[in-house]
Amino acid sequence: MNTNTSRGEADLLVIGAGLSGLMAAWQAARAGLRVHVIAKGAPSLHWTAGTVDVLGYMAAASATAVADPMNALSALPGYHPYSLLGAAQVRAALADFLALTEAAGLPYVQGDGNWLLPSAVGALRPTWLTPQAQAAGDARRTAPMLIVGFSGLRDFYPHLIAENLGKQGVPARAAMLPLELISTARDRNAIHLAHALDEPQRHQALGRALRQLVQPGERIGLPALLGLEDHGATWAALQSAAGAALFEIPMLPPSVPGTRLFQAIRRSLRDLGVRVDMGIEAIRSHTAAGRIEWVETATSARPMRLSAACYLLASGGVLGGGFDSDHTGRMREVVFDLPLTVPQRRSHWFRAEFMHPAGQPVFQGGVAVTAAMQPCHPDDPAQPLYANLWAAGGVLAGADPIQERSLEGIALTSGWAVAQALARR
Amino acid sequence: MSSFTTSWQSAGPSLDECIKCNICTVYCPVAAVTDKFHGPKYSGPQAQRFRENGQPQSPDHSVDYCSGCRVCNEVCPTGVRIAEINTRARAALAAQQGIPLRNRLLGRSDLLGKMGMIAPGLANFAMNNGLVRAVAEGVMGISKGAQMPRWSTQGTFAAWLKRSAARRLKSADKVVYFHGCSTMYYEPYVGQAAVAVFEHNGFEVLVPEQGCCGLPLLNNAEFAAAEGYHERNLDYLTPYAQQGYPIIGTSTSCTLTLKEEAPDMLDIHTPAAHDLALAVWDMFEWLRDLYQAGQLRTDFNALPLVLPYHPPCQYRAHHLGSPVMDILTLIPQLDVRESAARCCGGAGTYVYKKEKYQIAMDVGQELFDFVAEQGADVTVTACTSETCRWHIESATHIPCRHPIEVLAAAYGLYDLHARRLLKE
Repeated sequence: MNTNTSRGEADLLVIGAGLSGLMAAWQAARAGLRVHVIAKGAPSLHWTAGTVDVLGYMAAASATAVADPMNALSALPGYHPYSLLGAAQVRAALADFLALTEAAGLPYVQGDGNWLLPSAVGALRPTWLTPQAQAAGDARRTAPMLIVGFSGLRDFYPHLIAENLGKQGVPARAAMLPLELISTARDRNAIHLAHALDEPQRHQALGRALRQLVQPGERIGLPALLGLEDHGATWAALQSAAGAALFEIPMLPPSVPGTRLFQAIRRSLRDLGVRVDMGIEAIRSHTAAGRIEWVETATSARPMRLSAACYLLASGGVLGGGFDSDHTGRMREVVFDLPLTVPQRRSHWFRAEFMHPAGQPVFQGGVAVTAAMQPCHPDDPAQPLYANLWAAGGVLAGADPIQERSLEGIALTSGWAVAQALARR
Repeated sequence: MSSFTTSWQSAGPSLDECIKCNICTVYCPVAAVTDKFHGPKYSGPQAQRFRENGQPQSPDHSVDYCSGCRVCNEVCPTGVRIAEINTRARAALAAQQGIPLRNRLLGRSDLLGKMGMIAPGLANFAMNNGLVRAVAEGVMGISKGAQMPRWSTQGTFAAWLKRSAARRLKSADKVVYFHGCSTMYYEPYVGQAAVAVFEHNGFEVLVPEQGCCGLPLLNNAEFAAAEGYHERNLDYLTPYAQQGYPIIGTSTSCTLTLKEEAPDMLDIHTPAAHDLALAVWDMFEWLRDLYQAGQLRTDFNALPLVLPYHPPCQYRAHHLGSPVMDILTLIPQLDVRESAARCCGGAGTYVYKKEKYQIAMDVGQELFDFVAEQGADVTVTACTSETCRWHIESATHIPCRHPIEVLAAAYGLYDLHARRLLKE
């Protein structure tokens, strides 16, 4: 025996535990399918701001932010994942995501059009859904902001944020508090601080300090570390102690809002009986007669075979690890060796200008799919390559999630759509 | 400096995959409870850049507080083998500073086992005597709170095999059993349960000469000694591997060491080491494969129990999903509840070190709380790793069993509470 086999009885094997894979798993499990999720490691949600960007900018025309993505979808090219999915599916998927987060105790909110939320350098991020704790930072409102940092906390500089907000017409001032209000431990990262703030004594002390700083009419921006496991209660208690609206500003990774979202969805999946196995890296597959027969994963010795009725590739793109390249720049999709629209020469990956408004080609390519999200040859968009394989999220071709600010929106809606299609079968 | 610490054939290159995202620090159970460990990113890939290429000094001595649980490897999105980088760094540190006698002792589970077996009753008395333990803590730094295993008072596993030789099944289907030190000297009943399960499924069990896998030595920075241990096992076991016998172990850390840790850490990438690694199976990995092939007997008795099960870090490092859950859930009326706790805290010999005992208890709190939440009628828990079982038992005051004991009980072959075979 040179391979071993897991109890492969799943209806759906999801490869990747990012937003697309998790959303697909949740939606499919709710529809009664048996789902198994595997991932090489913790997903890139831990790197993100925790918001759901649907469409912030139209690619190659990125000077002004999109005011309402739902009105802009129809202007996207036909090969864009949103165009393949259609506006109705996009809306339905996002509504289900709101329901999921509400039920998981981490409610997200939708505004009238894109929110404009400050980043850790005071730039404004157009985003469609935000965790409730970031909503009060909306820069479309004119109420003045007090940005509060902590001395000794790296990666968060309130004066920089306030100054940049001011330049964009948002009245803001900055203040510092001692980090010891949260923790006296040395060299803590954001996750440890967020966890420490869950303790009532600490967030009450912080709330009192904030009340002394804030002036009437101000809203307070803080680094995103207002609680972890008990975030909802911690944020509400802090807000009432401070006597002002509080909002979180996401910091550098590890992202507390992204970690909260991952853990909330993972809990929801556990309640539905879905296994999410980390440290399981899919390395190749076996196909026969136009079907995926099994996926092989790396173990400490011989590879393991995992089989299921259907497979969802949700392994992410270049950044998520779904694609790999050799030293010449030949890029390949790791698990199924699917054809890619990514430039196959290293010199063609990037433009000479890093901030070029048209974005970078290496992030724009990916796996071409049919309208039903099944991988296909880029020249033959009607014909799936395998009868039981789907793709969602960062692997998809036809979008530039970085330039468009559409990463989470594409992930959620494409993952959701695959689950819907499978549930109907 | 020993040659092992400058060679970077396996864990080393993965260092360059680190993008400094700190996900490892988010999930590191040790960094979450103590300032003494700065987290996997800092002590691992980051500090490593300063240790490489002949740099004389390690910049960061906190790496000694890494428990080696490998949660960082499990969550790393880019495949950096942080725990292995840390193990090598500890070895480099030890090469500079020397290894305390305590660590040399804790690293030799085979020697400790043999010594205790000279007079197990006396040894158990001493190890559970408060005065002796207070002296051991004061003089040696061995934490007095940590639960010592009890030497077997019914003789070693080998002695039982010899006694029961006439009753053992002969069959054309044969497996090799790797028992490990703890089954040999402390818990022979785990090996008895394994043999009973093999035989119930029609397999003859071969137990060739074998030695300690060397993991405790690797964890205590004694690479040269560990190399000797691994070479010996290669001599003993590779012939069986090359004849096509599966070599199956019940100690999940031993099997991981034979498969991956020893070859990687010691840079033993010979054909023999490769053959052995591919022949080694963890018990439940092999049982799951048997089940998948339709060959596992499923004539289980109902086992009406709520069973909290902790998949130990070492088990997760096999990257196999959860074969124990896959098999135990076949048993009627057994309500197995898998813990999502990151680590029990014990981490092999870690908990036995005075300065680390409290950290081990704090790390394990997540798991101890999970066990408590399963209700007051929980009478037994399960874990595949022996040192974890001892640690979980001492913290929860509930007996902790190897899942193979549970399986043997479900086959009607084993008394789960008395820990003995029913028919011998």
